[in-house]
Order: sequence, then structure tokens, then C-alpha cells
Amino acid sequence: MTKIWTVVERDVRMFLQYKFMLIMRGIWFVAQISLFGLVVSRIVVVGNYFQYYAAGCAIIMLFSTSMFIGYDIYEEAEHGVVEYLLSLPVSRRELVLGRSIGGGLRSFVYVGPLLGVVLVLTGVTNPLNVIVAFLSLFLFAFGVSGLSITLAVGIKSHDKFDILLGVLDALIVRLSTTLYPKVAMMQASPVYSNLAQFNPLTFASDLFRWGAGLEGFFPDLTNPVVAIAGLILFFSIFVFISITIYERKLEGGGWQ
Amino acid sequence: MRESWKEEVGSSRSKKTMKAIPHILEHDFRMFFRYKWWLAGLISMNLADLFIMAVIYTGMIREDIIVNYFKFFSPGITITALFAAAFMIGREVNFEQRRSFSHYMLSLPMTRFELALGRVLSGGIRGMVYMSPLLLTTFVFLGLPTLPQLLTILGVLFAIAIGISGLSIALAVSTKSFEKFVTSRGVVYYLLFFASTIFYPMRSPQLLTQLQGVVPQPIITLALVNPLSCGADLIRSYLLNDPPFSIDFIVNVLIFSAIFTIGSAVAYIKMIERD
Repeated sequence: MTKIWTVVERDVRMFLQYKFMLIMRGIWFVAQISLFGLVVSRIVVVGNYFQYYAAGCAIIMLFSTSMFIGYDIYEEAEHGVVEYLLSLPVSRRELVLGRSIGGGLRSFVYVGPLLGVVLVLTGVTNPLNVIVAFLSLFLFAFGVSGLSITLAVGIKSHDKFDILLGVLDALIVRLSTTLYPKVAMMQASPVYSNLAQFNPLTFASDLFRWGAGLEGFFPDLTNPVVAIAGLILFFSIFVFISITIYERKLEGGGWQ
Repeated sequence: MRESWKEEVGSSRSKKTMKAIPHILEHDFRMFFRYKWWLAGLISMNLADLFIMAVIYTGMIREDIIVNYFKFFSPGITITALFAAAFMIGREVNFEQRRSFSHYMLSLPMTRFELALGRVLSGGIRGMVYMSPLLLTTFVFLGLPTLPQLLTILGVLFAIAIGISGLSIALAVSTKSFEKFVTSRGVVYYLLFFASTIFYPMRSPQLLTQLQGVVPQPIITLALVNPLSCGADLIRSYLLNDPPFSIDFIVNVLIFSAIFTIGSAVAYIKMIERD
């Protein structure tokens, strides 16, 4: 357990080195909320859209920062750091599990204060719901890290990984309820709405809004039990897959 | 005799100028297409914005403010694409500056001015090339402009593209620190994007009334004079008749473009000479 924590700690420290990325993401978040969110909330027919949008943006941040672990894995493979990691007195499984937890935890450390800002904007009505929502978002962050690790070790080309993340980001974010309520998606296209139903970002954002007490304004939010079950499933699948694939690839120079 | 020699040298210099700039354009174009994966990601994001986000927002936006958000946003995404591609040149210039690549640039048989102008132009042309499929998409959904309108649109978009390219180069040469460059680029990027009429009709009197006291006045003013707003609204004025055409759209873009093209060329020359 201590060894896993050492791996987690290293990943969190590594993350803080990406100052420019963290600054850029921070600027993006502020611009999205204070400019786009503020103006668009005045022209939409959806009430309380500003709070809805701010909550969604925080979840997008959590998603994109959790995905960043994949880039670390590429960097390590390119710079020969994997060999060094393998030489450490840490088992393969501890290393892989530590990476997955570290990837999720570090994004939570970064996005946690922003989630707090959103909660201040929306107001907390039920602290228990907030705790349940935060615990579920932990699982979501770990699951996204697992997804990113799976893609990074599954695709050997850095370029292909880059484009796949770009496309995934474009589609997963837009085909979820992070930016707009399900009823609006249904009106636009039932296909979009149906796809959004199974999207982990939908579960995460709806759960966070439920925790923030916004469900009264948006009754079409996913049932919290369904959302929690969806996130547990997402977390289990991708953490399991990433651990299995990453562990296998680490043997015999499979990362090269 | 002396006069004819001067003329000969002058003519040979101007021919050289004509020859040197295409080489820089070619170099920068080759560099641009090395980012093919990045471009593919950007295209998918632009298309997702148009065909998913804008389609959904169409049902959410109040019809008294925007009748059809998809049609409204289509010129906006065209400008977004132009901006993103033209803005990319700064990243390369900053990289070259940090790696002292400018020493090699200075050894090339061309004048400083040719080099600087070539970089600004290539950034602009890259923006135009990347933007053209999205402009065509806009024409498909909004209808075709007349020939004079088309020429005006292309001219204004090109002026915006070289202005953005110049702005990006000016930011890139202002610092050697990658972090500072990325941060300043991010601030400018998001400020120009969101304080504009790309996503919302900031010129609409109804919206302006609602934003009084909510959005600071400088942001609203910036949105109205922003070259990205002017470019998007020029296309909208021709194809959607809303907002009505104003000569200010063209004048604002030309002023922006002139300032940043000249300013960035001077800054670029100073930077490569300083190094």
C-alpha cells in the first residue's frame, strides 16, 4: 500500500510541473463561466442556465485533466523513463494501480477547488448529497484516467493518440449533458439524446448538479442511483482494462 | 550609367523579394501540414461544435433574439477556424526563438523584412486554407453571396487572418518563456473568442439591454470592435441580412490588420537581430 502511495505521490508531483497546462485550463474555465456562460444564460429559454453551465464546465475540466495521464505515459516511453520505473522495488501491479489512482487523484486535487467555486455559486442545500456526488466524481476521475491509460498503451503512435483524444473530447463532451439539458438534446435529435444517456460525462455532470441541489430546476437529470451505478461500472471497466493492458505491455518492452 | 545601375539593383532586389517570400510560405506550409493530426482534431472539434452544439442550442435560444442559432453560428465557426489556424504560427515562432533557430533564419539569402513579412503572410494564408471548407459549409447552409460580396468576404477574411497571424507573432516574440507565452496566448485567445459576436449577437439591442450591469462595458465594447466579430457579422450581413451591413466592419478589420501586420513584422525583425 505504501508503494502504491509512492507512485500516486510521484504522479501528483509530476502533474504540478505542467504549469502552463494548468494555467491554460484555469483561464479556459474562467472565460467559459464569466463570459460565455453569463451571456448565453441571458438568451436561452432554460431557467438557471448559468448554474447549470458552470457545473458542466467543472466536470469538463475534471474529464480533460484526468485524460492527461496518457500524455505522461507517452513521455515516459519516449524518454526511457519506463525502464527506470521498472527497476524500482515496486511490483508491476502496484505501479499500474498507482498510476491509475494518481491520474484520477491529481485531477481531483486540481479541479476540486473549482468544484468548490461552483458550489459557492449554486449554493449547497444538502451536504450529504454533495459528499455522495464528490465520492462518485472520484470514481469518474479514476475511470477517465483508466480510459486514457488504455488508449495510450493501446495506440503506439503519439499523433494518433493526440487526434483520438481530440475527437473523443469533441464528441464525448458535446454528446453529454455537461452543456445542455437532456430535454434540449431530445428536441434537437433523439440520436444525440440517446447517446448522451450512456455517456459517463452525463452521469458525472448530472450527479454533481444533484449534489449541488440543482435537480429542482432541471427535473430531467439522470436518477442519482442510475448515475452512481453508471460511474461505478465505468470506473470498474476502465480501471480493470487499463491495469490489465498496461501491466501486460510493461513486460518485454511492449511500450516501445 | 549610375542611374541605370541603381534601377538594375532595385529591379533585382524586388525580384528577389518576390522570390524569397514564396520560399518562406512553402516552408511554413510544410510545417503546417506536419501538424496533420492536430488539424484533424481541430476540424472534428469545429464540426462537432456546428453539427452537435449549434443544433442543440438552436432549440434553446430565444427566437426573439436569434431566429436560427445554427445559421447564426455557421459564420462564427468559420471565423473560429480561421483564427485557430492563423494563430498557430506564433507557437512555431516562439519555439524557434527559444531554440535560437533564428540564427539559421538570418543566414538565409533574404532580407529581414522579407523574412518577417513572409512569416506574417504564411500565417494568414494557412488560416485561409484551413478555414475554406468551413466557409463553403456556411455557403451551403446560408446560401451563396454575390460575386462582389464573395470578394469582399475573402478580402476581409484574409485581412483578419494576417492580423491574427501578426498578433500571434507579436505575442511569440515578446517573451522567451514558454509558460509566459502560453499564458498570454491563452488570455488573448479566450478574450477575443468570447468577447465577440461569434457565439452571441452582441449587437442586438435586446441582448445589450440585458447585459447592462452584468457584463463590464469594456468587454461589450471589445466585442463590438473585435475583428472576429466584424468578420462574422460581415458574412451574416450579406447572407442573413442581420446585423445590417456597416462599413465599420471592414474599417475595423483593416485597422487591426495594418497595426498587427506592421507591428509584428517590426517586432520579429528586432527579435531575430537581438538574438
